[in-house]
This record gives sequence, structure tokens and C-alpha cells, in this order.
Amino acid sequence: MTTHNMLIAPDFSPERFAGWHMFNILIQKRANLNMHLNMPASYSEQETLVENDNIQVIYANPFDAATLIREQGYRAVARPIGKSDEMVITAACDSDINSLEDIADGATIAMANNRDVKLIGLRLLEAVDLEESDLNWKVTETYQAAARQVIKGDAQIAFFLSEIFHSFSRLTKSQLNVLIESDIADISHVLLIKDDFPDEDILIDAVLNMHNDADGQEVLAELGMPEGFKSMCEEDAEFMLDLMETLMD
Amino acid sequence: MGSPLPDANKPDMPAEQIILNYHDGTSRVVYDTGVERPYPDGKLIVSRTDLDGILTHVNDAFVEISGYDVDELLGKQHYILRHPDMPRAAYKDLWATAESGKKWNGYVKNLCKDGSHYWVYATVVPNVRHGKTVGFTSVRRKPSRSKIEAAIAQYADMKQNEEA
Repeated sequence: MTTHNMLIAPDFSPERFAGWHMFNILIQKRANLNMHLNMPASYSEQETLVENDNIQVIYANPFDAATLIREQGYRAVARPIGKSDEMVITAACDSDINSLEDIADGATIAMANNRDVKLIGLRLLEAVDLEESDLNWKVTETYQAAARQVIKGDAQIAFFLSEIFHSFSRLTKSQLNVLIESDIADISHVLLIKDDFPDEDILIDAVLNMHNDADGQEVLAELGMPEGFKSMCEEDAEFMLDLMETLMD
Repeated sequence: MGSPLPDANKPDMPAEQIILNYHDGTSRVVYDTGVERPYPDGKLIVSRTDLDGILTHVNDAFVEISGYDVDELLGKQHYILRHPDMPRAAYKDLWATAESGKKWNGYVKNLCKDGSHYWVYATVVPNVRHGKTVGFTSVRRKPSRSKIEAAIAQYADMKQNEEA
């Protein structure tokens, strides 16, 4: 039997790691196919894997989805229900920054390397006349490291993927002051399938029906998407890509 | 030619009554109370139109700030939001740019149902499907106060020139 390759974008919360392995095991069982799970640690590693042209299924972030769909022959087939990609901007609780208006030119922003988070964060900072070049950037290995930078005062502000921020311990969150959280709703990760993937129907069926039984529900709970996936048509994906395009500048 | 949009309802508070003439030859009475609504923090205001500028999709943030019900918006001309302070040239530039297949950005003062208004930084992109433009998506973000002040001055000048 042919072995296919599935890739998960590297911006998931560490606590979801096991969930993606469970997802892959269940999908293989239900779709009766062999699927190797690729979990690159960085976007550059993701790009290399995709360029090698042997990835058939990708759980992609919306930033990458545009290129993957419009230039690299992938098609969006499903998205998680009720799980849009949002971001949070925080300062330390003991800092004198209590609103976006308090962020000064030259402030240092700590964040993990996530282009969606940066893009949305920069759009929120436009409202207080701050642009990328007005700020200093500290890219950390993890979101937890970004939180530590702000709490210790090595950075004034941190950007987080909302899901990851809300998964922090109570102690960490108690030291961070949320200045704003995006509420965009229309932007989410998407499940992409390469155009020539032979087992498309059976795979999509397995993904869309995952929420219908106990085993599937357990996997979805581990992934933080208890409502499961809903199907996406070409127009759904194009709409999201058009929306992303408006955010680029 | 009669207006496809009904005249606006007179607000309960003092408001200037204005007759707006649209590019398609129609017109309607609108009211300007001068009251500014705050942009909803963290949100994007999203709409789509067909090639004729008819609204085909509005998101919740759009509906909420506009003051209209969804049914009052879908199927209506996008210019239902046009504020009398906006110069014609700004919209002309918007549509000419979008219809030529390019992205348009700009600051826009929009009129709410009750005569209040809100400022946005709008980006309009053509929806290209299989090589053909089938409509337009407009996404609005929160503009800074300094950019709003600059737009107020610029649009006042443009309006004055258009009326001269």
C-alpha cells in the first residue's frame, strides 16, 4: 500500500502534539491508508518538505494557505468548526502599558515565529499609528519563552496565538495584561489536499465524521476542536484568501 | 429616475438633512447627526458585492455598526453606507482601481442607518475566480485618530473642489 504524507503546520500548542498523532492513527484506520505524519518545527522546515513535493495532506495556517492553494496545487477541503485563528497582545501586569495607546515607538515585541499572529497584531497596532519598522522584534523559540520575556521586562509587549495564550498556566496569565484580543472569526487553519491525491473521498469522509463517535470525539478533544471539522468548498477557501490578501498591507 | 434605496428615517436627535445623488442617477434623503460611533476593537468589518456593487455578504460586525438589519443590506447597493462628507472622487478611484483588477486602500467615513457615522481603513480586492473577476471583497480595519484627522481635512478640500 502506498504511504502518503500529512503535514501539520508548526504553530500548534505543545499540548496538541499527542492529539495530532491520535488523529493520524484514526484517519489511517478509518480511511484504510498509510499516512506518515510530518510535524515540522519551523516554517522553513515546512517549506522544504512541501517543496520536495511529497506532501499530500496539509493542516495549514491561513497565511500559508494562499500560496499552497493558488500556486502549489492544493485544495481546501475542511476547516475546524468554531476555531478561528485569533491573537492576543499583552503587556506585563506590572508595566505602565495599560492600553495599545501606551505602546511607544521603539518598544520591543516578543513572539514566536508565527506569521499570522504577526500580521494580525500589526493590523491591530495600526490603530495607534505603530508600524513594523517602529518596533523591535524578539523572535523566541516558543510562546512560553515570549511570555517570560515580557514578564521579566526584557520585552514590553508580546504577541500570542489566542489558543496558546489561553492554555497558559494561571500563574503565567496572572502576570500578563491583555491589551487586545482579535475577534476576526473568518480566518482559520484549513485542511488541504493535493489535487492528485487518490484517496480524497475516503479521507474527507473520515475527517468530517470524526465527531460522530467516541473514539473520534476523544481525538478532537485532544486537538481542542470538540465540534470537529466542516467541509469547505472552493469558494469558502477563496473568500478566506481574499480576506487575507486585504490584510497584507 | 427614482431611487432604489428608500429615504432614510429622520433621527430623533438634531440632524442635517441632505439629498445624496449617486453615480447611477438615483438619489435619496439622508441625515447626518454628526455622532461618531467607535470602531469595534479587534474586529474586521467585512462585506462582498457583485460586479454591480450590490451587497452579497456582510459579517456580523458590519451589520452591528451599520445599524441596519441583514435583510436591509443584502441585495442593496453598497452606497447605502455613503456619507455625504465623502467626495465622489474617492469612490470613483475605489471602483476604477478595483475594476481594473487591483487592490484599493483608503480611509472612508461611512453613514449608519440612524445618521451617525464611523471611520474605517478599507481595503477592496477583486474576487478573481478562474481568471474572471466575479465580485469584490471589502475589509475594514480600525484607523488611527491621526489618519482620520488627515482624511477629514483632505476630503473637505476634495468636496469643496467638487462643489466649486
